[in-house]
Amino acid sequence: MQPLANVTPLKPAARAGAIEVKNVGQVFKTRSQDVVALEDVSLEVKPGRFVVLVGPSGCGKSTLLMMMAGLRQQTAGTITISGAPILQPDPDRVGVVFQEASLFPWLTAEDNVEFPLALRGVPKAERRAKAQDALKLVGLDGFGRRHPHELSGGMKQRVSIARGLVQDPPVLLMDEPFAALDEQTRMTMGDELLRIWAATGKTVVFVTHSLTEAVYLADEVIVMSARPGRIVDHLQVQLPRPRTYEMLSGDAFGSLRDRIWRHIRKSA
Amino acid sequence: MSARISARISAKTLRYLIVIGLIALWEGLPRAGLIPELFLPSLSSTLVAGWTDAAEYGHALAVTLYEVVVSMAFACGGGILLGAIVGSLPRPRILIMPMVSSLYAVPLVILYPVFTVWLGIGSESKIAFASIYGFLPTMLATAAGIQTIDPQLLLAARSMGATLSQRLVRVIIPAAIPTVLSGLRVGGALVIVGVVVSEMLISSAGIGYLISRYRTILDSAHVFAGVLLVLFLAIGFNAVIRWIERRAAIWQTGTRAGQANDEIATGAIQPAT
Repeated sequence: MQPLANVTPLKPAARAGAIEVKNVGQVFKTRSQDVVALEDVSLEVKPGRFVVLVGPSGCGKSTLLMMMAGLRQQTAGTITISGAPILQPDPDRVGVVFQEASLFPWLTAEDNVEFPLALRGVPKAERRAKAQDALKLVGLDGFGRRHPHELSGGMKQRVSIARGLVQDPPVLLMDEPFAALDEQTRMTMGDELLRIWAATGKTVVFVTHSLTEAVYLADEVIVMSARPGRIVDHLQVQLPRPRTYEMLSGDAFGSLRDRIWRHIRKSA
Repeated sequence: MSARISARISAKTLRYLIVIGLIALWEGLPRAGLIPELFLPSLSSTLVAGWTDAAEYGHALAVTLYEVVVSMAFACGGGILLGAIVGSLPRPRILIMPMVSSLYAVPLVILYPVFTVWLGIGSESKIAFASIYGFLPTMLATAAGIQTIDPQLLLAARSMGATLSQRLVRVIIPAAIPTVLSGLRVGGALVIVGVVVSEMLISSAGIGYLISRYRTILDSAHVFAGVLLVLFLAIGFNAVIRWIERRAAIWQTGTRAGQANDEIATGAIQPAT
């Protein structure tokens, strides 16, 4: 089966926040065999876009995200962010928000947000000021002194987002950030994320299992097939912004979600 | 909330009452003749025995304390160091862990006579024995603590550009501290056991030696004076560990103790999700 990657051909954008994935493959070597996790994946994300990756479990969408973050090296192809290849984690270019709150339990919320700055020896006062700004942005003004265990699941993920944004990278990568949250919190956090995204103009790449979440949040949805992971569809979501709860029951929303679901059912 | 505090206070008072009750029984039962003084000498006669031979007990305590402190340094230092290595490197883990785990199940005290052959009946053999005795649980706990660090935390640190040494100092060590502390608690207690027991078996000094010697001449009051000293030693050790644990209390919050609070936090702060 040929990859259906029908990416709009564009000149490689050297602008901050542009992501270019070119013919990327990933092969895991195990003792008995080589497992092809990703095969010939190419896609381009323009600066400031909100792109969601969906696909059945094990399709390599998280792997692709980890490679964009520089946390894993692809075995074939190239990934460039803001015009330069990404060979290792670079918090100046890419912030990452993980699945469950990966906050350090022994640090307060503000110390967690300051963590990436502390790693680079940013002076305390500057660190604190930036952390306060980031916490304010995610709506956690005044919660900085709390430890993660004193925060709800949604608040913890807000802290994670603040930590991802504190160095002001043009790209924010999110690996199923709301998967562990309950339905209501998840909806609220989706709206919050869209608000933060609109306020900061970041390029967001968001991995999720939820088709509703995908269509609700995205400018573009990239659908991947089961292993070996390939891009099987690339949808433009034309729904107006701000997105509202009422859109969920609309025809446009439903047909987009159905289209994604058909791809996933086929490959699962 | 206030109900809970009052419950806690009454539990605390109750604990004191139980201790006071036991002390009263210790004094009262032998005095009333319900228990022969040979089996349980009254508290007062125990204290008198200890007081009259205070110099002897003081000397024995100094010997025992010295052995405990040195053994503890070996057991805890070595246990943490080796546990950290074994916990973080998969190859030595596969090699060593099964051996250490099965060794832990062996009653090591059977090896003590061999130690006296090698090192004599002085402090060296006690230190060697107690060090190994306390080393095993400390090492196992440290290895487990490092092995069970949430890989997500290390991945997150890496995504923020943390170098290997930054990950060690800022993530691995703080994350392992609660487990290491619980290992120290067990390991340290075993060090005290190891020193006292080895003194009781074959030796020429120390509290264990005194207990053993007075037992052979059926001087129960002096035996119990020694037992009381060991008791204080254990209580003192426990106080030190609790002090360290309190200082590291923030580190514990991510673990089980923190989970309970988690529920409360989720419930109470729901509106601000």
